[in-house]
Amino acid sequence: MTDAGGPGSYTCRYCRMSSGGTDLSCPFCGAPVDVTERVTASGWEELPAIADLARIQFGRSDCQVSGLYVPVCDMNLAGDDWVFFSHNVLLWCDTQVELDALSLDGAWNRTLAGMPLVMMYAKGPGHVALSHNVPGETVAIPLHHGQIVDVLEHRFLAATGNVSYTWASSGVWFWTASGGEREQHLPIGRFIDRFTSEGNGLLLLHAPGNVFIRDLAPGQTILIQPSALLYKDASVGLQLHFEYPAGATQAPGSFGLGYRGFQTFLRLSGPGRVAVQSVWDNHSFHYARITSSSPSTQWAWG
Amino acid sequence: MERIVCSWCRGQNEAGAEACTWCGAPLDQAEKVTDSGWREAPRLRDLAEFRFGNSTCQVEGEVVPVAEMNLAPGDGVFFEHHTLLWKDESVPLGMLPTAGGMARVLGGMPYVVTTATGPGRIAFSRDATGEVVVLHLHPSMELDVRGHAFLVASHSIRYSFIRIRGFNNILHGGEGMYMDQFVTVGEPGILLLHGYGNVFERTLGPGEKILLEPGGFLYKDSTVTMDVQQMPVRTGIFRHGLFLAEMTGPGRVGIQSMYLHHQVG
Repeated sequence: MTDAGGPGSYTCRYCRMSSGGTDLSCPFCGAPVDVTERVTASGWEELPAIADLARIQFGRSDCQVSGLYVPVCDMNLAGDDWVFFSHNVLLWCDTQVELDALSLDGAWNRTLAGMPLVMMYAKGPGHVALSHNVPGETVAIPLHHGQIVDVLEHRFLAATGNVSYTWASSGVWFWTASGGEREQHLPIGRFIDRFTSEGNGLLLLHAPGNVFIRDLAPGQTILIQPSALLYKDASVGLQLHFEYPAGATQAPGSFGLGYRGFQTFLRLSGPGRVAVQSVWDNHSFHYARITSSSPSTQWAWG
Repeated sequence: MERIVCSWCRGQNEAGAEACTWCGAPLDQAEKVTDSGWREAPRLRDLAEFRFGNSTCQVEGEVVPVAEMNLAPGDGVFFEHHTLLWKDESVPLGMLPTAGGMARVLGGMPYVVTTATGPGRIAFSRDATGEVVVLHLHPSMELDVRGHAFLVASHSIRYSFIRIRGFNNILHGGEGMYMDQFVTVGEPGILLLHGYGNVFERTLGPGEKILLEPGGFLYKDSTVTMDVQQMPVRTGIFRHGLFLAEMTGPGRVGIQSMYLHHQVG
């Protein structure tokens, strides 16, 4: 990727891109240059919020991020530069910006899975601004040629035109039985968004709450709440894991035979980077019997 | 004597003041304006205080701010009843007569607008993360506001509602059938809005246009016209049309970043 701001004397600790370090923020991901690194004792690194009015370069265009609670990404598209995004994140645009639908395959499957059916593109010259609808942080991920990133559905904000977008089965599911009822569970959704850069591209996400990143070493594993996953490198493996807490033997208030309660986790295994968000859906504890699942492990306490 | 002019409300302040006496905006911070011309609504410091009439308002909290008013005798405010957070027992409540009751109900507007008069304290807040925007209305100003976005207004402001003109606007514009309208005649007044997420304002020149997601609209000067443009995009399983609001200057337009996405067609 082209260096910005002069010779590569500064390497951003968050996106690992090299720049002159003369600006207040990294020109590739917007992270403040002078911020003190905040790493928890367990190794999670807090991703600093993009500074208000910071600019992120891509191609001949840039993106200015403004706002604190629900940041707005205001893109100044030059010439024929273009970006794509889900239609529901468009906030405003200049009248001369070309807007149209981006055709996607597998529309029926996407509709059934609750994923955005329509991607729009915006082509310069002119401004187009995007924002999501929950408080949180904008995450900018500069991508090298060939880099692949997997993103939890509904977290995508925008990507440059040279980033290809597909989706793959998440491969994470299980069925439970409780009484006479069977239920399918999809802890991270039926599909996961996959972005592959063809050249040097930019991927923008919006995460509810705060964002923490961690680089897993080969073979290193960690258990996370499934819906807390924000993104991961394609090299990071994921698998279901169930844990039965000691004493959680039957549903409160039930009589006779009950089902042992269990907690659902995602086991992430390195090598590669993972990011989690601090706001997630708390539907990961169940009182039921697991009848089938995608590849998984389990552990019973006590 | 040297004066400081507030860049948000243009109010005059004494030298050395840290916050504007009239809207609470910090005076010791540079105005934040994006390259495309949107200026961020000033982020009021916790416990910032400003005056209106003989009363004061203090804004506290940052995620869902609370506007706490100390009403002087004879001063009053009006508000939608569900924004009232707490009040002194001595503060009397009343009803603001609003015309067109049935039309308001059909348009999804608040049927009941409540009043409170001083002396005493009363506080207001909305129900989601956002910012309180303080708009100081000078005499002879007209402001159109998204329904259910106003937090509280001083009694010197005339409150009514306007029907959004044009069948297309009603059907696709995302604002429902009506917008709140606030007008000042002889006296200035103070209007507090609660914008979801962050709030930005831009002043459009005569004939200048922008396209706006209707759910992001927060307020506009009445001189700004709003029309609807259909985009060449269809969404969802029933192939809904995508419509954007075309705002044409001259005048100010305010938007909120955590908008309610509007999808009809």
